[in-house]
Amino acid sequence: MRCVVVTPEETILNVESDFVAIPLYDGEIGIGGHHTPLVGRLGCGELRIKDKENLSSYYVENGFVEVLNNTVTLLTNRAVPISELDIDKSTALLNSALKKFTKNEEQLDLKEQNIFAARSQVRLARKAKGE
Amino acid sequence: MAKARTLDRRRKSIRNTRKITRTMELVATAQFRRAMDRAVAASSYTKRIVSLVKDLSHAGVSVTHPLLEQRAEIKNVALLVLTANRGMCGGYNANMIRMSMTRWHELQQEFGDSATLEISGKRGISAFRFRGIEPDLFYTHFEDKPTFDEVNELASRYIEEYYDEKIDRLEIIYTKFISMSKQEAVHETLLPMTELVTEEDVLDYSPSNGIVDEKEKKSESELRKEAMIRAAQAKLDKAGVAVVREGGEIPFDFYPSAQSVMEEVVPNAFRVKLFKSFLDAGVNEQISRMVAMKAATENADQMISSLNTAYNRARQGQITNEIIEVTSGFQALGG
Repeated sequence: MRCVVVTPEETILNVESDFVAIPLYDGEIGIGGHHTPLVGRLGCGELRIKDKENLSSYYVENGFVEVLNNTVTLLTNRAVPISELDIDKSTALLNSALKKFTKNEEQLDLKEQNIFAARSQVRLARKAKGE
Repeated sequence: MAKARTLDRRRKSIRNTRKITRTMELVATAQFRRAMDRAVAASSYTKRIVSLVKDLSHAGVSVTHPLLEQRAEIKNVALLVLTANRGMCGGYNANMIRMSMTRWHELQQEFGDSATLEISGKRGISAFRFRGIEPDLFYTHFEDKPTFDEVNELASRYIEEYYDEKIDRLEIIYTKFISMSKQEAVHETLLPMTELVTEEDVLDYSPSNGIVDEKEKKSESELRKEAMIRAAQAKLDKAGVAVVREGGEIPFDFYPSAQSVMEEVVPNAFRVKLFKSFLDAGVNEQISRMVAMKAATENADQMISSLNTAYNRARQGQITNEIIEVTSGFQALGG
C-alpha cells in the first residue's frame, strides 16, 4: 500500500507501507492494505506509518485523506516528524490560543480548533521526548 | 589622442556594466530554477485537491459556504498588491504598479476610506509613497521563496476579517504565470470566492522544461511493483470484488459526510490560491529579471563592439595623422 503525504509546499512522503493510522476529525482510523475507497476530514494529531519493522510518526494538522486504489493520500497543511516538534513553542501556542477573545460562532470554532491543535502538538512533542 | 582615450574609457565602463548584468542574469537563472522547483512541488497539492473536488461532485454534493456567498452590500474592500522587493527586472513591477494604481483610484472613488490597501514588496511600497499614498499594511518579508506558513498566516487573517465583516471583498493584483514566455499582470477577486479550485489552477509548467517533482518521480522497480499490484487488483475486480462501479463512479465512504468534507475544502482552496499567487509572483520576478538582464548583456555586447570599431578607427586616424605630420615635416626640411 502506497502512502502519500502532500502539503501545499511539497510532497513530504511517498512510501510503501503496511499499515497507516490517521487522525480523523473525531478520532483515529486505521487503514490496512486494499481498504475500501474513503474520503475523510483530518483533525490534528499523530499520523503513524508502519512498514514492516519501521514505525514513523508525524504530526499532521487538518486537511483530508483519500483512500483509493490501494493508495492513501493525505492532503494537509502541515506535516512534521514528531521529533521536530518543540515543547516550549507548542506550549506558547496553546497559551495564546486559550487567551483568544471570540465574538461569533465562526471565531469560536476557530478558537476551539486552535486549542485542539496546540494540545496535540504539546502531547506529541512530549511523546517524542519520551516524557 | 583625446578622442580615442574617451572611447576607451567608455568601453571599459560598459565592460564593467556587462559583467554586472551577466552575473545578475546567472543569479536570476539559479533563483528561477529554485522558485520553479518550489512551484512545481506545490502544484501536486493543487492537483490532488482538484481531483478530490471532482470525486466529491460526483457524489452529488453542492456547496454552500460563507466564503462563497456574495454579500448583498459591499462596504469594505481590501486590495492586495504583490510586487518585488528588488528592481532590475524589466517591466515586472511597473506593470503591476500601473494596474494597481488605476484600481486603487477606482476603489477610492467608490468606497472612500473604507478601502484598504496592502502591498507586499519594497518596490510597490515606494512607488505608492512617491505618489503620496501610504499603504494601510505592507510586507517586505516575502522574498522569492515564500513559505506556506507565512502565507497561511495572512490567509487566516483574511478569513477572520471576512467573518468579522471587516472586509467584504478581497482583491489581488499579481503577475500570473501563463507559460515560460508569457506572464501577465492580473487583477482577481479572491474573496468571496467565485469558484472552487479548477483545473486551470494547476500550474501548467510544460514538461518539455524537464522540470519534474523529484519526490513524485518513481524508480523503475517501484513502477514494476505498481504494475504488479494493478494486475493483482484487476484479478480481484474480475473475481467480483468490484472496486469501481459501472460508469466509473467510485463508492467512497465519507467521514463524516461529503458535505462536511466539502466545507473544509473551501477555506483550504482559498489558502492554496493565495499561496499560489505568491509562488507565481516569485517565479515571474525571476523570469522577468532573467530576460531583462539577458537583454542588458546583449545590449552591452553590441555597444562594446560598436565602440571597438569606433576606437580602432580613431586610433588608426591618429596614426595616419602622425605619419602625415612626420612625412610633411621631413619634406619641409627638404629631404
